[in-house]
Amino acid sequence: MTSWIVDPALVKQCGELEEHFGERLNERTEFRGEITYLVRPIDWYEVLRFCKETAGLAFDQLDCLLGDHLPERSSAPFEVVAHLVSHTYGRRLRVKTSLAEGEELASVTGLWPSAGFDERETWEMFGIVFAGHPNLRRLLTVEDFEGHPLRKDFPLAGIVGGRVRTDLRGKI
Amino acid sequence: MKDLLQNVRQVVMPLLADAHGPDEAREEAPRPTLEELKARKARSRQPLEVGSEVITVSMGPQHPSMHGVYRAELDLDGEIIVDVRPEVGNLHRGVEKLCEERTYHQIIPITDRLDYIAGFAMNHGYCEAVEKLMDLEVPARGRYIRTIASELCRLSNHILWLGVHIMDLGTQTFFCICFRDREYVLDLLEMLTGARLTHSFARLGGVAKDLPDGFEHRCRKAIEFLPKRVAEYERIIKHNRIYYKRAKNVGIFTSEDCFAWRVTGPALRAAGVPRDLRKDDPYAAYDEVDFEVAVEYNADVYDRFLVRMKEIRESCKIIEQCLDNMPAGPFVARDITRTLPLKSDVMRDSASMIQDFYQVFKGPAVPKGEVYRATEAPKGEMGVYIRSEGAGRPARIRFTTPSFYHGQALPPLVRGEMVSDMVAIFASIDVVLGDCDR
Amino acid sequence: MSDPIAQLIFLIIKAILLPVIIVMMVAFIIFFERKFAGFFQGRVGPTYLGPWGSFQSFGDIFKLLSKEDLIPDKADKPVFRMAPYLIFIPAFLVMAVLPFGPVGGEANLFGYRFDYVIANFDAALVLFLAVGAISVYGVVLAGWSSNSNFSLIGGLRAGAQMVSYELAMGFSVVGVMLMANSMSFVDIVNGQAGNFWNWYFIPQVVGGVIFFIATLAELNRTPFDLAEAEQELVAGYLTEYSGMRWGLFLFAEYVNMVVISAIMSTLYFGGWRAPLEVLDFIPGPIWLFIKIAAFIFLYMWIRWTIFRYRYNQLMSIGWKVLLPLSILNLAVTAVVIAIVG
Repeated sequence: MTSWIVDPALVKQCGELEEHFGERLNERTEFRGEITYLVRPIDWYEVLRFCKETAGLAFDQLDCLLGDHLPERSSAPFEVVAHLVSHTYGRRLRVKTSLAEGEELASVTGLWPSAGFDERETWEMFGIVFAGHPNLRRLLTVEDFEGHPLRKDFPLAGIVGGRVRTDLRGKI
Repeated sequence: MKDLLQNVRQVVMPLLADAHGPDEAREEAPRPTLEELKARKARSRQPLEVGSEVITVSMGPQHPSMHGVYRAELDLDGEIIVDVRPEVGNLHRGVEKLCEERTYHQIIPITDRLDYIAGFAMNHGYCEAVEKLMDLEVPARGRYIRTIASELCRLSNHILWLGVHIMDLGTQTFFCICFRDREYVLDLLEMLTGARLTHSFARLGGVAKDLPDGFEHRCRKAIEFLPKRVAEYERIIKHNRIYYKRAKNVGIFTSEDCFAWRVTGPALRAAGVPRDLRKDDPYAAYDEVDFEVAVEYNADVYDRFLVRMKEIRESCKIIEQCLDNMPAGPFVARDITRTLPLKSDVMRDSASMIQDFYQVFKGPAVPKGEVYRATEAPKGEMGVYIRSEGAGRPARIRFTTPSFYHGQALPPLVRGEMVSDMVAIFASIDVVLGDCDR
Repeated sequence: MSDPIAQLIFLIIKAILLPVIIVMMVAFIIFFERKFAGFFQGRVGPTYLGPWGSFQSFGDIFKLLSKEDLIPDKADKPVFRMAPYLIFIPAFLVMAVLPFGPVGGEANLFGYRFDYVIANFDAALVLFLAVGAISVYGVVLAGWSSNSNFSLIGGLRAGAQMVSYELAMGFSVVGVMLMANSMSFVDIVNGQAGNFWNWYFIPQVVGGVIFFIATLAELNRTPFDLAEAEQELVAGYLTEYSGMRWGLFLFAEYVNMVVISAIMSTLYFGGWRAPLEVLDFIPGPIWLFIKIAAFIFLYMWIRWTIFRYRYNQLMSIGWKVLLPLSILNLAVTAVVIAIVG
């Protein structure tokens, strides 16, 4: 395809973001026309709130929030990625953060309620706890499922837990 | 006495005239502002009495109307819904985990099963994302064929949606009629891709096969007669008094709500936001065809119906334009390190066979990086996030499917509405569990 | 053989024959409903069993009888078992007072006077209204005794709906009563003697239409079938019934449909009378049968074409539109009769 150029208006607006947060934005990558910012877990909520509420950025929709597991990075193996969309300007942005094992992250359900299911799924699949989430329970697997399936050390096939579920009789 | 006369007039007049006046009157009516929509929403929701007894009814997972195995636990106060607790996950197949052990080519059949009603649209979205990652260009003919197949899937999805939506309101006759019309679309898809449901037609760099002989003729016949059928259905339903009473000002979800809950697609366009990824972020051949984005402004069930009917007509237009301007040339990119060879060559030529084997089992050559690409699936915006470590298998892949968020958006939509309305609203939001649970 | 004994023998024959005929009719009506549903939806209905698939109901009966009789654990068992019967036994009672041929001397069998009615009851119309209300009990008790939230909602909805529409039905029927000057079905049919322009549907057209709509609600048929709205409540008050018990509910619904069609034709369309006097040689029961069949077809046609109303809209139609109109109809009828004499 053609060369992937980042939208210059977005670059300009991101300049505003960088100006506000300065050093706290650890890294910025551009690949295939998308800008990605890496932030620290403590700044996660603040950065996302700035993105949503600043008039120039106006990222009014959280397209998705997902987790990731990189076991080769032993200091901070987990990652949470948020994709933001601005309907007013038709632009996209990605914000990431790296987490250590057991580290908690602030929940963004206060900013975008659609993160509710996303964060539940991320917790369920990776074990990343979101502080302030109203309902952090298992979403896609059974309620008493053990383990976090999408981690790289969780096998693809196998038997987890019991086989015949007689304990759920009368509950479902 | 005045009330009696008014009630009588309400009954008798519609028998003599249209339910709400001709289309022109509706089109020229002033567009409601956000505040007015919010006021309408507040009026249409019933006030919840504090302290009255509430019974819990579990609608689902087995239920003729809950599209798929979606479970909604309702707290009801008489007819009014006090609270809804949705529960998804009954169809979770671990698609993302499965994809991590497969190469990029092997993932294509898995994407079929996401939104199984519009299988090719899922394939297409996924292939667009991988091609963005690999920076692979699709030849013109391949793009046009993909557009045709995507629009056929959109037709199939919307006609099925219409049948299911009207069936949820009470009549099964319409469902059967819509399915009969959908057969034409499915026959075309079968002719093109070889399957009615699990198309698996897209390949990295293009499509699997060229247009078969006789496809163009048959396709033109179908898209000539489908808009007339759709006009007939629209006429039956749009001016139907009962439908009007059940769908107007029911389930209002303003654009603010849509953004907050990530509701996209026809529901967002019915709220007045002209956002269609086929125009805003074009892919395949959408920037080379001319079509309108269907937008309505009242954000209720009625408008979502109108939006989808318009989209059916626009899809027929797109397909016709693609058939008219179909470029000659290859239908798939040929790149030894990144695409599959042509099946006809594989069986004859050992180099192609080796390439095929290598591509399928070792995977294409992709750079390291992460990419997110969203396309306009029939139900909403479907996004694919891929993080690649340079291997033939993705390190992390995430399908952001519209139904996942639409299923989550049920509580704000129906709290305060009545049970019968909940069924209509849920049908208008269009949720399919394969899409939702992955 | 003296006359009373002959009458007794005739009575026994009629009392046995009528329910049997109705049951056979219902079996075929169920089949025809599915066949017509198929035709309206662009497909053929059942075709396997029998010529044109007509023995489908019998196949269904055998299948239902062979199913497990499942009663929920916490359900109120005696009431659960009794509920379906409460719905159709009243219908049979009403059939006993309906005339399906000339009564009182016109017809005779072997020289003895043969009345084409089981019981020539003076207040038959009131009996119909009163006994028809018992069906509501059956529905509500079915929903209540199942001990399930779905069924409860369905049963209560159905009960409220049936009660509201019974009022409109009652008022519209009083118009016919005024015109015939009697509450007996026999007198009402005799009052429509002559050709089809003497039938009561012409002067009582408003009442007739209201009665028809109210009976749609009484029968729980679309557009008023919220009680068993399949898409919303699975099957409403029928949810917990399986096998032949569910068959009994279906049977009850169709028996009610037959009876109400018969009543509709008796009250407004001349009962067993022929439309034109020259066609009098065709016996009365055949005309009644034709009219019943026509109404049943109309009910089916409406069911497979129109959508369902939402519950509050349904109730508001019953109370705010049909009831005032039927009272108005009654008032106008009374005034006209008083003037014309």
